[in-house]
Amino acid sequence: MQSEGKLAMHKAERFAPWQRGLLTVLACTATTLLATPLLGHLDLANIVMLFLLTVLLIAVSLGRGAAILAAVLSVLLFDIFFVPPRFSLAVSNIQYLVTFAVMLATALVVGQLAAGLKQKAHEAQARERNTRALYDVARQLAGTIAVEQVIDIARQYIRMQLAAEATVLLPDTVGALTQAAPADGFRCEPHLARVALDSGQPVRDNEIAGSGYASLYLPLRASMRVRGVLAVACAPASPDLSPEDLALLEALASLVAIAVERLHYVDVAQAAQVDMVSERLRSSILSALSHDLRTPLTALVGLADSLFLIRPTLPPPALETAQAMHEQAARLAGLVGNLLDMARLNAGNVTLGREWQPLEEVIGASIKLLGNALAGHPVRVALPADLPLLEFDAVLLERVFCNLLENAAKYAPAGTDIEITAALGSDSVEIRVGDHGPGFPAGNLDALFDMFARGTGAAGKPGSGLGLAICRAIVEAHGGTIGAENRPAGGASVRFTLPRGVPPVLEEEKA
Amino acid sequence: MNAPAPKVLLIEDEKPIRRFVRVAVEEEGCQVIEAETVARGLIEAGSRKPDLLILDLGLPDGNGIDLIRDLRGWSDVPVLILSARSQENDKIDALDAGADDYLTKPFSVGELRARVRALLRRRSRSGEAVTPVVEFGTVTVDLSQRRVSRAGEAVHLTPIEYRLLATLLGHPGKVLTQRNLLREIWGPSYVESSHYLRVYVGHLRQKLEDDPTQPKHFLTETGVGYRFQP
Repeated sequence: MQSEGKLAMHKAERFAPWQRGLLTVLACTATTLLATPLLGHLDLANIVMLFLLTVLLIAVSLGRGAAILAAVLSVLLFDIFFVPPRFSLAVSNIQYLVTFAVMLATALVVGQLAAGLKQKAHEAQARERNTRALYDVARQLAGTIAVEQVIDIARQYIRMQLAAEATVLLPDTVGALTQAAPADGFRCEPHLARVALDSGQPVRDNEIAGSGYASLYLPLRASMRVRGVLAVACAPASPDLSPEDLALLEALASLVAIAVERLHYVDVAQAAQVDMVSERLRSSILSALSHDLRTPLTALVGLADSLFLIRPTLPPPALETAQAMHEQAARLAGLVGNLLDMARLNAGNVTLGREWQPLEEVIGASIKLLGNALAGHPVRVALPADLPLLEFDAVLLERVFCNLLENAAKYAPAGTDIEITAALGSDSVEIRVGDHGPGFPAGNLDALFDMFARGTGAAGKPGSGLGLAICRAIVEAHGGTIGAENRPAGGASVRFTLPRGVPPVLEEEKA
Repeated sequence: MNAPAPKVLLIEDEKPIRRFVRVAVEEEGCQVIEAETVARGLIEAGSRKPDLLILDLGLPDGNGIDLIRDLRGWSDVPVLILSARSQENDKIDALDAGADDYLTKPFSVGELRARVRALLRRRSRSGEAVTPVVEFGTVTVDLSQRRVSRAGEAVHLTPIEYRLLATLLGHPGKVLTQRNLLREIWGPSYVESSHYLRVYVGHLRQKLEDDPTQPKHFLTETGVGYRFQP
């Protein structure tokens, strides 16, 4: 429906210049032939009017250049064929020179005005057509639900309005620009598109215009960032684009950019929805599992304990059995706790309850929590006096310290110290938990942090091989690193880092 | 001397757990009333006037936290919560709603009996006149004269340190949540500034604990709050 858009805009150029000249000459000649028989009946002044009418019509239909030609031609023809002496340029009465001058001036002015008005009307029409077409495009784009539709609409519009081919290039997941809906035979220069995307400015290469390669690359600038590039390849027949065409394309690029951005956010919102649902499902499964496993274990631990309260007191072998049952059930509970923790940490998206707090507090709490398990191992804590507050999840970091202290107490001989030290780095704090035991077995120490990994010396010691894996998951969730080493003086040592960050200001109280 | 046996209301839906908790609590010389649901628990609490309530947070017909809120409208009976380890937020909500202490599952009978004893002792003492002098370890605090001394030597505390100490001392054995302490001592606008509380508890430990890194009196309940242990 808009196929004549560009053609209509240039209707005045329907004829080549020489054709327009020829038509002008013919029209003027026709007027002369028509007026000649009337010479006896009409005043010369009225014949001048006929010529002026001719100029007006030519100006309206053939444009400015033809109007000028017609004005000059009319004066000449009027002089030769109507003013006495006829058939010569000579003039008998000097008054006719005034007639010629006025006639020429009037013809020129009328021609100019008429041609100008005509052209303005054309331009207004063309503008209105473009606006309507853009409006249509905007309306269509608002209803799109896929990027392919957006590209189709843009392509169709450019084909109709400019008789050119186009496509849209969008960055993929790794940032490389690719044709979102590849079209056959459409070729573009990736580096030019890249420049347009990075600079946010249109890129134009007139050298390759009309060669089949896209020569114009318009960035799709949306409110947040440049979303992609609109590549336009002009038809070989008309490789040039007028400033109006360019403005039109830029407007189109804006519309496409908005549509692409809108679709992007639809995707983002949908993905967030899916994430939320799966996260909720995961955590409800984990907490149901946790409840179902923990309840019988709690009962088992308590029931074994309650055997001690039976009156009369059970014989010692029965009490020993009860004690063993309590211990095994407690161990099982610990294992289940570890497995659930690991599942929760491995599920990703761990929400850390990070708060700024002193490190020594969580160390003290861990030591207190382990209680009797550390009986034969005095823990010595030596922290720098200027240790700043650190931002961490206290519950999770308590797990790290508990696991490390438990390991140390398990492998180091009774009566030896366990040492906790910390050192300030420029942007992190390094914490070490060391013992005086046999140390880690030689080999790949990093593998100790893998799930279900157990040191070669671990056979015969109770454990699941999850403790260190949980430590690593927690430390890494905090943005730190963890590693194991054997101390030169003997004994195992695990060191991990926590980022320092910028602690909040503490208003000093006026003491 | 023959005081009636204290009554303990046990609200728990798992029968095996009720069974061993009943044995343990009876061993403390208490009479045990059992309830399996929130609704039944509230009725028993109203009609039997127990001296202690032991409450599991995950009950089939409702949330234990709502029960505590309901209960606190008309009773100040001590409440001991039983909860799983991964439910820090539930514990905090329950404590903020008015619970006194919690036990994390699984727990041993020994721990349970110690908590029950402590809560009943506090209950029986609540009627007595408040003594102005509190002693713990080598520290003596004279609340009437705002004087603190350690091993006979005066200890200087800043106003905030003293207020924090007095608040903790006012609830011996009870877990006070971070939110609670921050609101009480610094005011409602500081509820999210937990680092203040942690730093000042650190000061108290430096000044009053023998080994500040392994405190014996100002205990951390990780992720929940603090407890003063005389």
